[in-house]
Amino acid sequence: MPTPRVEFTYERLPNGLRYILAPDPLAPVVAVNVWYGVGSKNEAPGRTGFAHLFEHVMFQGSGHVSKAEHIALLQAAGGTMNGTTWLDRTNYFETLPSHRLDLALWLEADRMATLLVALNQDNLDNQREVVKNEKRWSYDNQPYGLWSHKLQAHLFPPEHPYHHPTIGSMEDLDAASVEDVATFFRTYYAPNNAVVSIVGDFEPADARASVERYFGPIDPAPPIPALPDMSVPLSLGGEVREVVTDRVPLTRIYLGFRAPAFGDPRLRALEIGAQILAGGKGSRLHRRLVRQERIAQDVAFFVMGFVGGASIAAGWATVRPEVDPAQVEAAYFEELDRLTREPVTADELGRAHALVETESLGALQRVEDRADQLSMYATLFDDPDRINTELQGYLSVTADDVRSVSAEIFHADNRVVITYVPAPPDAQGAPAAPDAADEEPSA
Amino acid sequence: MSGEHLATRPVAGTPRAYDFPPFTKSYLHNGVEVRTVDLPGRPLVSALVAIRRGATDEEPSRAGVSALAARAISEGTERYDAIALVEASERLGAELHAAAGWDAASTSVEVPAPRLGPAMELLAEMTLRPAFPANEVERLRDQRVNEILQAFADPRSRVEIAFSSTIYTPDSPYGRLLGGDRETVPGLDVPALRARHGAWLDPERMTIVVGGDLSGIDVLGIVEPLFAGIPRVGGADPMPAVVAAPAVDRPIVRIHHRPGAVQTEVRVGHVGLARRIPDFHAVSVMSAILGGLFGSRLNMKLREEKGYTYGAHAGFDLRLHPGPFGARAAVETDVTAPAVVDLLAEIRRMRETDVTDDELRAAKDYLIGVFPLRFETPGPVVSALAGLATGELPDDELARYRPEISAVTVEDVRQAAVEHLHVDRTAVVLLGDADRIAADVEAADIGDLEIVTDDPAGA
Repeated sequence: MPTPRVEFTYERLPNGLRYILAPDPLAPVVAVNVWYGVGSKNEAPGRTGFAHLFEHVMFQGSGHVSKAEHIALLQAAGGTMNGTTWLDRTNYFETLPSHRLDLALWLEADRMATLLVALNQDNLDNQREVVKNEKRWSYDNQPYGLWSHKLQAHLFPPEHPYHHPTIGSMEDLDAASVEDVATFFRTYYAPNNAVVSIVGDFEPADARASVERYFGPIDPAPPIPALPDMSVPLSLGGEVREVVTDRVPLTRIYLGFRAPAFGDPRLRALEIGAQILAGGKGSRLHRRLVRQERIAQDVAFFVMGFVGGASIAAGWATVRPEVDPAQVEAAYFEELDRLTREPVTADELGRAHALVETESLGALQRVEDRADQLSMYATLFDDPDRINTELQGYLSVTADDVRSVSAEIFHADNRVVITYVPAPPDAQGAPAAPDAADEEPSA
Repeated sequence: MSGEHLATRPVAGTPRAYDFPPFTKSYLHNGVEVRTVDLPGRPLVSALVAIRRGATDEEPSRAGVSALAARAISEGTERYDAIALVEASERLGAELHAAAGWDAASTSVEVPAPRLGPAMELLAEMTLRPAFPANEVERLRDQRVNEILQAFADPRSRVEIAFSSTIYTPDSPYGRLLGGDRETVPGLDVPALRARHGAWLDPERMTIVVGGDLSGIDVLGIVEPLFAGIPRVGGADPMPAVVAAPAVDRPIVRIHHRPGAVQTEVRVGHVGLARRIPDFHAVSVMSAILGGLFGSRLNMKLREEKGYTYGAHAGFDLRLHPGPFGARAAVETDVTAPAVVDLLAEIRRMRETDVTDDELRAAKDYLIGVFPLRFETPGPVVSALAGLATGELPDDELARYRPEISAVTVEDVRQAAVEHLHVDRTAVVLLGDADRIAADVEAADIGDLEIVTDDPAGA
């Protein structure tokens, strides 16, 4: 099946800004996507949640844009926008009718150049309350809500930049000051720490001129501070178990493993393995635990890729009422163990490849998604052409690759098991949580 | 700090012409309608079979039978068992889906264009000849019961359930759970599912929509042999009228007690509108200004000014018959009463004063400008065309959308608000810690207060 190639240019301004132009006239729309090389991994101790709180402040106005005007201007242009923060990065993006491309570029440049002009205590206090409500909504008031935070904390030691969740803690959010925001901005929000991707209906010469006009005069920051050494062994060195009593109706068992870093070919093999294990109704875990043995209500297994040291491979099974959780856990482990011993079948591998191919076709359909991928590969690997080569990487994964990476990570000494059990009915006062460790969007 | 070069705002270029993609309509020999939309350069093709018979005519004692039948439809057919069917579709890189809503049931698949033929064969097999094996139906029924338990533990699902059962009368299907509840689901057996599926096999109610890069693909040649064999049943029976009378005739407040909750889930509203109304476009602009845009009155007040919430929204759920109008927010427990007061004040203000020219322009420009973005890929185009069929809307509805929005005036918006927002019979449904919020809410004197402390899960 031929996959369309994404044609693009990758250039750099004298101030260090990298930008990617990928014209595609199919629809009268254009996407702008800015990745900054800063995420929750760059947060100082006692300042967790800061990168994400800062992302909210980025929508509060800048030198030539008043509070709430950023989003109002884009929506009035018929555009959509958001920003998200994750462990390795923060991104901001707009999709709009193509004749409004300059509006998006100007807005992004204005906040990159002049955010601090508009920064004040009121805006910070307001967005701090919004973020605290986001934390309550997404995690604290949700059944099972804190599982991903617990997993991160168990999989990475306290001093590791991946130990704490992107949303941060209430105490640290309270402690953030205007001066902290200003320092963070001066340190990380600069052209030499950003990638701008433009995808869609535009003339490259015009877009290049606009990028130069709006971003060219912005001063670079001093070199971005280096992170500590983030490498960790690909094993925890022992099993970690935690039982959480929560206001949930069904027991759910969450599993986590340290996995190879994003960019390591072994992670691709693990993703193919995850598809075979739990990707849809034809997968091994679904077949056995949900369909045949009927001991689980649902199952999942997936990979969260990070570039610093190790990624997380995680999964869960929701235990059906009247079933012994130990039985579900044992069956789940048996399936993981089987992957480490026997090669997957040619048919399983073929189906996983076909599904990955369709998924990759789907992921390249919208200009918005293409722009995000180009920015991601440029920011994390300085290699945006990975957008064209990754699929081949997945299709080249062999049964032995899957077995080999499984054997490396699916062992008891590299395992976190968190079991959520229902609180007894008379203890329903305990605070109770979504099912995926998601990025933190701001709007 | 640099930045002087940014003092001048960019001016807009010339918009490129845009029309909703034209589609062709044809009929198979038995009357099944086929809509195709060619979208050059879009190799992932989307195909959908829409059936104009949703869950509204279910017997109350069989509530949820449509949703369960849709779920069970992929559990094996006359030719394939469940595993064989899923494996066959995965080999094509395709996933089969089925769902039932209030207005319609549907089955669908997305697949790279060269494999459309074999994928349509599987879609037809699943849609037309499901086997409904008893043991799989039993498993799905148990799963649904567990799902209800989980929905009641999730504040967002639970408050939605409480809201719809408050604003609709007990004899309205819209007040029930689409997927059925703990009373009805255990009784949904194979004969009930077969009967529901049988009602779907009616060529007069069926529309097939296929969209994507269809160059060199004979869509009719593919679907005719697969779907033309469904016998006509002699003209579709009209669906019975849906009871959608309001159950609330004055302002009321109902607090569902969730001890220890750190936020209160707030739903405010009443029975709203059906999709086929003459002032649809004015209603769209009005609700964008009230609670649709990021810069909507509700979001600006509750989020950007007060910091009470991560987001506040409002809108009409437009169905064949009047669906709910609701305003929604999750607010910090201690500010529940002031948040509800602000929310009601904004709804009242929509009725009492005109929107400004700036608000009107921003909302219209957004709805007009974002329209092409919504339809960039085949999936949404196909869904929208199916929606025309199941919503009983004219063929040019989507092509007319932008000019109609453009024509909406300040007076139209005001009139839509006056006619369709009913502050005098609004229900405020709160899910939160009654011990901490009830006194404040009562003091705010919003309406008759009732506290529900014993919410039987799933009843």
